[in-house]
Amino acid sequence: MPIIEVNHVTKEYQLGHITSLKENVVNSYRRMTGKPLHKREEFKALDDVSFSIEQGEVVGIIGHNGAGKSTLLKHLANISKPTKGNVIVRGSVAPLIEVGAGVNPELTGRENIYLNGAILGIPKKIIQQKLDEIIEFSELEQFIDTPVKRYSSGMTVKLGFSIATSLDADILIVDEVLAVGDLAFQRKCFDRMEDMIKRQGKTVLLVSHNIRQIQRLCNRVILLDHGRINMEGEPQVVCDSFYEQSDRKIRANIDHTKTHTIASGEVELVELYFLDHAKRKVDSLSYNENCSIHFKINVLEELEGVTFGFGFHTTDFLYLTTHNSEEQLNINRLPAGDHEIVCKVNRLPLLPGIYLVRFGITSGKAAAGVFYGESLAHFQVIGDIPITVRDGFFALEANWMQLGV
Amino acid sequence: MIKIIKNLYNYRELIAALVWKNIVIRYKQSYLGILWAVLKPIMLMLIFTLVRSFVGIDTGNIPYPILTFAALLPWVFFQESASEGVSSVTSNAPLIKKIYFPREVFPITAMVTKIVELAISFGILGGMMVYYKMMPTIYGLWVPVVIFYTMMVALGISFFGAAINVYYRDMSQALPVVLSLLMYGSPVMYPLSLVHQKLIVEQAAGHWSNDLYTLYTLNPLAGIIDSFQRVMLKGLAPDFEALYPGVVLTLVILPLSYVFFKRAENWFADVI
Repeated sequence: MPIIEVNHVTKEYQLGHITSLKENVVNSYRRMTGKPLHKREEFKALDDVSFSIEQGEVVGIIGHNGAGKSTLLKHLANISKPTKGNVIVRGSVAPLIEVGAGVNPELTGRENIYLNGAILGIPKKIIQQKLDEIIEFSELEQFIDTPVKRYSSGMTVKLGFSIATSLDADILIVDEVLAVGDLAFQRKCFDRMEDMIKRQGKTVLLVSHNIRQIQRLCNRVILLDHGRINMEGEPQVVCDSFYEQSDRKIRANIDHTKTHTIASGEVELVELYFLDHAKRKVDSLSYNENCSIHFKINVLEELEGVTFGFGFHTTDFLYLTTHNSEEQLNINRLPAGDHEIVCKVNRLPLLPGIYLVRFGITSGKAAAGVFYGESLAHFQVIGDIPITVRDGFFALEANWMQLGV
Repeated sequence: MIKIIKNLYNYRELIAALVWKNIVIRYKQSYLGILWAVLKPIMLMLIFTLVRSFVGIDTGNIPYPILTFAALLPWVFFQESASEGVSSVTSNAPLIKKIYFPREVFPITAMVTKIVELAISFGILGGMMVYYKMMPTIYGLWVPVVIFYTMMVALGISFFGAAINVYYRDMSQALPVVLSLLMYGSPVMYPLSLVHQKLIVEQAAGHWSNDLYTLYTLNPLAGIIDSFQRVMLKGLAPDFEALYPGVVLTLVILPLSYVFFKRAENWFADVI
């Protein structure tokens, strides 16, 4: 039997301000006399959403802002009730929806541990047993008897997370909490989450904008779009599709505003295109095949000592690699007019996925930037990858052996 | 009914923790601390005593200050429980939006918090009884019953008011006004025996008198205050004739108010 069942859940909110008393009275009069009611515009935060989750599954929920992720979690945590449909949850729920919701600034850290424990439904005995562990995890030993109002915001969140994760519930509902504290603490939170998921076999629902985290932790991902389930399944597949969507949105914005390049006005990028190993103009390149990237530029003013550089990055701006023309291409003088620069890539090592190109030109002895742009073009890498490389962005050439055999 | 009580029992630790939080927070960083809680009944008692010195209110053989303090004790408890209860849900908006537990915990917590202040007032009343050399009698055992009844009356208002207040904040503004008017309609400044004397004995309002008296005692506080004074100070059993109209009204209102609250509860997180 699934531990969570969501059946055709629809949640409508009425837009605008709450109806005035007068409007309510008028409406009830109209209802009694059978006349049409004054209705406010309605907004469907969730629209006929159905899915079920089995015990021990780790499910990620992703989507753009306003796609209905948090609304969905609120329904699972029993905070909101659906307009239509129903939600069945068989087990205790630990809602880590914005940790520190119950943290009171006037109380000390220690007092807050007890208070929040009670709010989350942890018996006092268990809190007393776990008190040292919670304090240690929060790294706040020194400040635990200081009122929380004198804490930094990072300290408050650390405290909230430490309390919330000490709760022994069947289902964990996590909303963006891993983006807390400094890097070291984030690492710790992440490890604790992984521990709960992998070793304790808890059912976890995770909402995050950090898609890489979702991809790593979850075994199933639900992509929400405008309150509907757009896609559901393998993390890799769903996340890639989401990247593609975001990418399209980003590019739409770029086309619209054209502010993504920094140029001194001496050079313009006219065209950027890819040729595959057979010299065909393509949008998708094959893994482990040769290809070339062509930059057509229009030089408006003569340039001296020109160097070109390009790089690949992901849709979330993780810079993967760069290459520049220094030592390979010596251009002392680049006269005004159209030029085409080509960079040949041998056996493209990028694993299948969506990537983008950034490109820059520097000029003169001081290598002053005359052009720089990111997300200038995107391409898809396709092809079969060997079974030895699965995760990541690059294929690593390596060999295994056992010594002494 | 049993289900409700069982449910509350399950959340006893939460209620205890929230009550403790309320008390700690209210008096943190204040020098006099919880003593502020009893300032209100004492000030009102002093003012009433001053007024009485030139208005003249017959209190029988009981000194006026202690009689009025004994009236203020359940009155202030009721008034504060009700007005804190009404704003208890809205003032905990962050919790309502983030974590689920039965929402009736909030009005109940507000009321239980006031019990702590009530206990301090009892200490003062005890001190006054020693000063006036009054001995408690066996009828003092009625006190818990009277206080429990007061709690039910306060909850009857809290549940309904708290739910309304989520939608229309007018409620928390209007209630203090209504309650301070109600104080003059309750035997706080004057004893119930005066009302009884006028309406029942003297039949001051003609053939309306008996109905008017019932109407007056329909206010549960009339019965509560009178009973409290009788069992604490006069060594008498509660006057059931003055109690029953209020009890009947409370028995009707409290369940309705609770059901109303539970039905509204589903939308608190969306509207608050």
